[in-house]
Amino acid sequence: MAPKIPLPNAELTALGTPDTRSLAPEMADAARRYFRESGHLDEVDVVTTELVRIRNARHQTCFL
Amino acid sequence: MTWLTELPAGETDWERLRALFPSSIDAFDDIQRAAWTRFDPVVLELCRLRMATLLRFGGGLALRSDQARAAGLDEEKIAALASWPTSPLFSAAERACLALAEQFLMDANGVSDELVGDVLKHYSGEECYRLVTALSAFERLQRGCLTLGLTESPESAWLSE
Repeated sequence: MAPKIPLPNAELTALGTPDTRSLAPEMADAARRYFRESGHLDEVDVVTTELVRIRNARHQTCFL
Repeated sequence: MTWLTELPAGETDWERLRALFPSSIDAFDDIQRAAWTRFDPVVLELCRLRMATLLRFGGGLALRSDQARAAGLDEEKIAALASWPTSPLFSAAERACLALAEQFLMDANGVSDELVGDVLKHYSGEECYRLVTALSAFERLQRGCLTLGLTESPESAWLSE
């Protein structure tokens, strides 16, 4: 899949996706903090969390 | 009123959620605030309201962005939002962004090169990226509130800043 917008650099994230942090750094910082904090929530067990994540990825046809 | 039970005390359901998950909700709010920086607030508000209409998120529809109002967005244009493809009140740039917002909301897999290309006729790649991240933030908040049964939108905290 080719990016639909010009990218600022050829850097990739650990997931192999384009590193777009420099395009909206304040948003990237907030999002990183949100996912880090949400990852600490352990009310839902990890198996259920992963099943929901994969189901959602399939629903969105996201193969990353 | 949310269907969530046994939440801590707070003035609103959002604040009661914050009391339960303070760092997570604070970071979530920061995402929403960041979405309103460095992009045309009128376009963002049109997209936010259009998404709220399509999702039937009354809590968000009842609010208005002060930034957008100060930049010239009036109620006449908001009232015409459903007819954005044909209404003369909307510019080509606004139409391109609204088309992208609707497709993003309904089925992100259907966001085509043409839809993004239309936005890129009016905005830089960086601006287009900012628009998409804002759309993502709006969608996350609106669907989240609807799922949790939050009838009062927390957006009032940052739309009136």
